Amino acid sequence: MSRPLHTQVEQAVTADGRVVETSSDDYGHARTLGVDHDWFKRAVFYEVLVRAFADSNRDGTGDLRGLTEKLDYIKWLGVDCLWLPPFYDSPLRDGGYDIRDFRTVLPEFGTVDDFVVLLDEAHKRGIRVITDLVMNHTSDSHVWFEESRRNPDGPYGDFYVWSDDDTRYSDARIIFVDTEQSNWTYDPVRGQFFWHRFFSHQPDLNYDNPAVTDAMIDVLRFWLDIGIDGFRLDAVPYLFEREGTNCENLPETHAFLKRCRKVMEDEYPGRVLLAEANQWPADVVEYYGDPEVGGDECQMAFHFPLMPRIFMAVRRENRFPISEILAQTPPIPSGCQWGIFLRNHDELTLEMVSDEERDYMYTEYAKDPRMKANIGIRRRLAPLLDNDRNQLELFTALLLSLPGSPVLYYGDEIGMGDNIWAGDRDGVRSPMQWTPDRNAGFSASDPGRLYLPIIMDALYGYQAVNVEAQLNSTTSLLHWNRRMIEIRKRHHAFGLGEYRELGGTNPTVLAYMRTHGDDPATSDTVLCVNNMSRFPQPVELDLSAWQGGVPHELTGGVQFPAIGELPYLLTLPGHGFYWFAITPAGLDQKP
Amino acid sequence: MSFVEELVPHLPEWLGRQRWFGAKGREVSAVDVMSATSLTDTEPLLDLLVLAVSFADGGPAQHYQLLLGRRQEAPGELEHVTIGRVDGLCAYDALWDHTASAWLLEAVRAGRTIGPVRFVPEAGATLAPPGFGRVMGAEQSNTSVVFGERTIMKLFRRLNPGVNPDLELHRALRSVGSNEVAALQGAVEGALGGEPTTLAMLQDFAGNSADGWAMALASVRDLFAEADLRADEVGGDFAGEAARIGETVAVVHAELAAALGTVERDPAELAAACSARLDAAARDAPILLPYVDAVRAAYDAVAGLPEPILAHRVHGDLHLGQLLRTTHGWLILDFEGEPSAPLRERSRPDSPMRDIAAMLRSFDYAAFFQLLSSDPGAFADDRTGSSPLRWHAKEWAARNRDAFCDGYAARAGLDPRRHRPVLRAFELDKAVYEVVYETRSRPGWVPIPLSSIKQLTAGATSGSAAG
Ligand SMILES: Nc1ncnc2c1ncn2[C@@H]1O[C@H](COP(=O)(O)OP(=O)(O)OP(=O)(O)O)[C@@H](O)[C@H]1O
Repeated sequence: MSRPLHTQVEQAVTADGRVVETSSDDYGHARTLGVDHDWFKRAVFYEVLVRAFADSNRDGTGDLRGLTEKLDYIKWLGVDCLWLPPFYDSPLRDGGYDIRDFRTVLPEFGTVDDFVVLLDEAHKRGIRVITDLVMNHTSDSHVWFEESRRNPDGPYGDFYVWSDDDTRYSDARIIFVDTEQSNWTYDPVRGQFFWHRFFSHQPDLNYDNPAVTDAMIDVLRFWLDIGIDGFRLDAVPYLFEREGTNCENLPETHAFLKRCRKVMEDEYPGRVLLAEANQWPADVVEYYGDPEVGGDECQMAFHFPLMPRIFMAVRRENRFPISEILAQTPPIPSGCQWGIFLRNHDELTLEMVSDEERDYMYTEYAKDPRMKANIGIRRRLAPLLDNDRNQLELFTALLLSLPGSPVLYYGDEIGMGDNIWAGDRDGVRSPMQWTPDRNAGFSASDPGRLYLPIIMDALYGYQAVNVEAQLNSTTSLLHWNRRMIEIRKRHHAFGLGEYRELGGTNPTVLAYMRTHGDDPATSDTVLCVNNMSRFPQPVELDLSAWQGGVPHELTGGVQFPAIGELPYLLTLPGHGFYWFAITPAGLDQKP
Repeated sequence: MSFVEELVPHLPEWLGRQRWFGAKGREVSAVDVMSATSLTDTEPLLDLLVLAVSFADGGPAQHYQLLLGRRQEAPGELEHVTIGRVDGLCAYDALWDHTASAWLLEAVRAGRTIGPVRFVPEAGATLAPPGFGRVMGAEQSNTSVVFGERTIMKLFRRLNPGVNPDLELHRALRSVGSNEVAALQGAVEGALGGEPTTLAMLQDFAGNSADGWAMALASVRDLFAEADLRADEVGGDFAGEAARIGETVAVVHAELAAALGTVERDPAELAAACSARLDAAARDAPILLPYVDAVRAAYDAVAGLPEPILAHRVHGDLHLGQLLRTTHGWLILDFEGEPSAPLRERSRPDSPMRDIAAMLRSFDYAAFFQLLSSDPGAFADDRTGSSPLRWHAKEWAARNRDAFCDGYAARAGLDPRRHRPVLRAFELDKAVYEVVYETRSRPGWVPIPLSSIKQLTAGATSGSAAG
């Protein structure tokens, strides 16, 4: 890798009003991993906030170099792909989702060169990296917007959606009803209104302008050239506007995504697009594209309603909240995969899942004050589960075995807590707890300079919960998580297999079979049985389709009785679970 | 000697071992084969037999159906259903024979008629693809075979002449497109005593389902494990499900009324029937005697109602165990009606309050069943005021009974709680029946219905039933 030393490139504007965009040729390119069209289906993802992970330059804020230094830990844990929320230059009025320059790194985090090093070092370890890209809008301090408002007839005059009045597209709802009165805001400089689906400081790009679509595809190319493995496309349903529609999920948006995907397939095969469309699975599948060709838009999309359902199933002590949502989830194209998660940086709200008439989530949650509180507030996994090790293990086992690629949230692997004083948004963004030393080993700065205080309380504080201590104890949650990730990766049925629920007479038990491959010699079959109740439970499963098969428990390797004609009886401890590999009849090696 | 004659001597002993045989303990004086219809002429030979069982006590004969299979040698998996060797062949209960079950499904698909036996698919039926079926593990009063997780065939064991109400009501509900029952896809019909008689019915199979009784018990256990949380605060709260069950029952009632019409019934006549049952019950279970007057007063209140009572076909034997939670909501099963009542009575339109009262009783049962399992002495002494579990049981039952009524009212536009006298009378009628049933079969459980009777008549009895 050649790595020219660089300083931040200032964006210059030429005499005819054109912004001089930096080129990927100005930077080194990270080594790339071999082309693999399925990697994201088998991968374990890990969401990490650059700001929160490790501070290399003692300024109290995590940065790309700090993250690079921690790659060995991430590798050790078994993570296959990092997901980084936006690290672009930004005025940070919306957590970095308000991008000022798509081709520059936020100075606190480092430089594009630092990113090249991160990517190269990650690839060296077999770890891929994807990042968020906000397609729909920019910050109002982006030079494109500044040019657009100043020079309506210039090259950027049509880069945004301008109008003489604020009456167009009146069928589009206002997303941030708390802060915005309208999707239009008047700009005194240009003397027109501009369109914004989110905050008024985030003008929407005008995707009807071919120059915009070309410019955004060039942004993709910039990072792909450098070597990034994919993008999570933020706020993707809103790219286009059409009169008389709600301006969401329009056919033009899908056509543009198909174009992006084609560029990726042709020029950067094996890289992925992950759609962020917080909608019902039945609607989200549209973003996978044409099933006939295995999908030709995004390869991945988040399954949003599953997460609250997992919490509800355990609280209600029955499987139906999970069974139902998976039964309502349509099949997806062969080249695609759901992304599933228990927690992330940005909690979904009750409103987002309750729109659908047929669904009963709202009534269930609304009736239950505790569920309501948990869903609105952003909290980490451990405090949500009262730090109960059995439940932490059950939830993680579900995450690692339900259909989809699991996305872990940094710090949850050691059971970090949340900072209840930091307020709603920042409560789950506190610094990673590495050691029991000063600043939890996150930063060598003066504690007062930290972007957020380290968690100090007796239960979740860094003295009690940190990576170093858990590395030293093989019974720790960290070691447990690592073992489970390792087991998951040994069995391709988890990532690639079909999902089939087994039912069973006991409603507190959720049992399913993951199967991959038809050839009995190479196929992989894993039986997962989960007790949603805190009490021990028996369950009888109809495993007659696998008669003669022999279950091997996956954490200990113990062989269980062969599957016979009668229902298979298992007993589970409270919040217990089992993973079994099923060796088909005749293939078991008896000593 | 025909194979039938050879078979007969094996039958009394074999019948006595069957879970579905409804006359256990009674001495069988004779088993006759009333009819035998040969269904196949290659192995396995299949014959549909109707058996008449007579009793030494002189009681009326009962009729049972047996699908008999015969093979040279029965494979090992049929060993447990073998009846004996007849005519040089091994005879067995054929539902477990994969060739036989696959044959049955195809006979329905093709709509075959063989002698008096008619295999009838519903118009536009969707059935599982060809293949064998598996007998459901649970031992029930009937035997069900599941094909490819798509279709369930329920073979009625005990036969009564006439169309089985289960089939009749499922057919009616199919005609109005009900989503609250497993859709009917076909039936097998034969003849008994010259009358067309239902032998089996085929419905959609709801995979990945669990019954309401198991769900309710999980919820009660969850509440019992909490020291100081209230029923509405615990995670296992069932009220949401109870309300949805109420909605489901209301929708089915509306569908039954739409499909088969409504009539009016004389309140005095309904009350008189309850009263007659009460007299008989008090003879069989004298423990009821202290309550008879108060219970009868509740019936009299109904008899005195000025308006006739709206009636239509109802489920007739509704309880949590007849409800199936699927991934798409609740289904109501098994419209055979109260099994001990004569068919004529079961097919009469009745007040929808009958089903509602039965569900209310079932919520009580779930709570107090779990109470007795957790604390066998809960009713033994007078710990009424002091037992926290008993308090929780009452609380759970009250909350879910209310939620059920809320759900029913939301769909029906009629709140059952506003028809107090009728609801109370029917609850008492059911509880009286339960006392007799428990006295005979599970004496330890008598306190469950008895305490409900006590509560339902409290105030009205003012001390006359101090028990
Ligand atoms: N359509 C269906 N889909 C799935 N399971 C079913 C279906 N119908 C019945 N079952 C299962 O079979 C059991 C028995 O069904 P049903 O009550 O209809 O038969 P039965 O033999 O008359 O029972 P019982 O002796 O309890 O009256 C039910 O509890 C349920 O678990």
